[in-house]
Parts: sequence; structure tokens; C-alpha cells
Amino acid sequence: MAEKFDNLEEHLEKFVENIRQLGIIVSDFQPSSQTGLNQKLNFMITGLQDIEKCRQQLHDINVPLEAFEYIDQGRNPQLYTKECLERALAKNEQVKGKIDTMTKFKSLLISELGKVFPEEMARYKAIHGDDPPS
Amino acid sequence: MTEIFSSLYGQNDAQGPPGSSALGFGPGKPPPPPTQNQVSMSVQIQHQLGDEGPALRKPGAMNEPFYLLREIPVGNELTGNTNLITHYSLEHAYNKFCGKKVKEKLSSFLPELPGMIDSPGSQDGSALRSLIEKPPVCGNSFSPLTGALLTGFRLHTGPLPEPYRLMHIQPPKKKSKHKHRHHRPQDPIPPETPSDSDHKKKKKKKDDDPDRKKKKKDKKKKKNRHSPDHPGLTGSQPNSSNSLR
Repeated sequence: MAEKFDNLEEHLEKFVENIRQLGIIVSDFQPSSQTGLNQKLNFMITGLQDIEKCRQQLHDINVPLEAFEYIDQGRNPQLYTKECLERALAKNEQVKGKIDTMTKFKSLLISELGKVFPEEMARYKAIHGDDPPS
Repeated sequence: MTEIFSSLYGQNDAQGPPGSSALGFGPGKPPPPPTQNQVSMSVQIQHQLGDEGPALRKPGAMNEPFYLLREIPVGNELTGNTNLITHYSLEHAYNKFCGKKVKEKLSSFLPELPGMIDSPGSQDGSALRSLIEKPPVCGNSFSPLTGALLTGFRLHTGPLPEPYRLMHIQPPKKKSKHKHRHHRPQDPIPPETPSDSDHKKKKKKKDDDPDRKKKKKDKKKKKNRHSPDHPGLTGSQPNSSNSLR
């Protein structure tokens, strides 16, 4: 799995470096640079071919669209992962709080109902047994 | 009898839609009495409710003295009660992203990527969102450029025009205490071609340099005056020299 990403990363880095060098040649062009320019252009095409080959290995990879929004804003996409983890933990804690509160309420309700309706609660406990704390 | 029937139903055609006349909505007509069919239907419905009452209830509630008491559903093993981060073995990821401070800028995630990547993509049309909304044409194969096609890439000599010049320049890096300079091959040198901005920069540098040199000389002189190891004092400093003697 990691090899597929490493392969793609390598090709992309080479491609970007090639483009950067192409930009340097073009920034102050000289007639002697023409052959180098042609070579870089063909390297660009082979680079795109290599990236196209990597695409087949990664067809099952899904990227969340929200991560794209971070990149478009010039922000670190790791912040998206961080915020996802923080939100998951916060929701986890919230739900745990609800479960704990409902469990306490259930035990309190059973005890109070047992005081007011002892016979009925005895029948209820006989039907359901001693419910284990959830 | 037929007259009664005709008075009730015979005038339907003249009065309009049959539905309205059957229900007795015609002008000046009393509502028809409920027919025997309707009465029997209502009795049947009551019987059905009475007979099939227990069948309508859920099986779990049928045999119990408490009405609508259902069986307790089978609980999931995984609930919000468990710490999901430890359950899915994400402690390392959590400590990595939430324990340490993650830098805000995109350039900290991609330090080797050239260009101004910290600016929003919508400014220069390089947004990924536009790639999703208008996907490029795919499916065509990439074929290398032939000699005839390469003739289109014959460029004029000389530097790029002003608006396109800054595209490949990297953003200024912060000065680090440990200066490790990794020189890339053919790094972009600041443009030497004459321009107004360059002249101003060069002039500023020229103006600063002699000032700096003068300041350095003055500092050196001051240090030398006050140092005990200085061999002799010049005539410009008579007071100090005379007081010692």
C-alpha cells in the first residue's frame, strides 16, 4: 500500500522538478537552450505517462473533498485530519456522557419505582431478570 | 316506491357529478341515510379490532402483564461508551496530529514544492475545486512531441516579461540559526536585467554599504580607545592620556 504512494510521490517529485527547471530555462531563454528545452518538454510528457500508469494502482483510493478545501485555502491538510480526530473524540465523549446519564437514570428510576410499585417491579424483574448495567 | 327512488336517485344526471348527488350535496336535498352495507362494514371493523387485537401487538408484549412492554434489544458491543481511538488503534495518529502543534501553512506540509503555494488557489486559478467541477479531458494517450511539433516551442531570446517573472521564485525562507544551504542546480538567481525595481534595490544597497562600513569603523575606534591593551593613544585623546601620567 505504501509502495504505491511512494511510487507516485517519486514520479510527481521528478515531474515537478522537471517543470521547475523548464521554468528556469524559459525565464531567460537563449538560443543554445533550445535543445534543453525540447528535452525537458519530452521529459514532461514521459512524466505524465508515468503518472498515468500509477493511476491504475490507486483507483480504490478515496480522498475526502474537505481535504481539498484546505489545500485550496493554502492550509496544511494535516489540520483536516487533526480536526477529524478532535471532533470524533468530542462526539465520543458526548455520547459516553449520554450513556452514563441514561444508565444512572435507569437505575434511579427502577429503585424509585420499586419503592412506589413493589409488586409490579417484582413482576418486571421476574420477566427481565436483573438487567446488567449497560 | 319507484317515485321515491327516482326522487332520490333519478335526478342525478340533471344535477351534476354522480359523486356529489350520492352524498347528497345537491341543493335542497337531505343527506341519504347510511346504507345497510355501510352499517355492516362498521360492525365488521369493530369485530376485527376486537379479534385481532392481540395479533396486532408485538409478540414480545403479548404474554406479559405490562402493556407495550417490549423485549430489551440486543446491544452492540461497540458503543460510545468505549474509547474509539484506542479501539481502532489510533493513539499514534492522535498523538502525532493533536499532541504536537501542526503548522498552518501548506508549505510546511510540502516544503520542497516550488512556487507560492500558501496563497489561495482561487487567486491564480490553481484550485482543486475547479478541477473537480470542470474535469480535464482524459483518455487521450500521451505521445512525445515530434520535430514538427517542437517548432512551436521556439522562444524569443531574453528575459520573461514583468508579469510572468515571479512565478518560479520561491517564497522567502525564514533565517535559521544553523545555516544549512542546500543549493539546487540552477537555482533562480535574482534577475540581473535592468529594471526600475532593481535599480532602486541596488542603489539602496550601495547607500547602505558605505554607511555600514563607517559605523563599523566607528565601533572599532571606540573599542580601541577603551581597551587597556591599546599600545598608545593618539593626539585626539589628550585628556585620558594626560590623566594617567
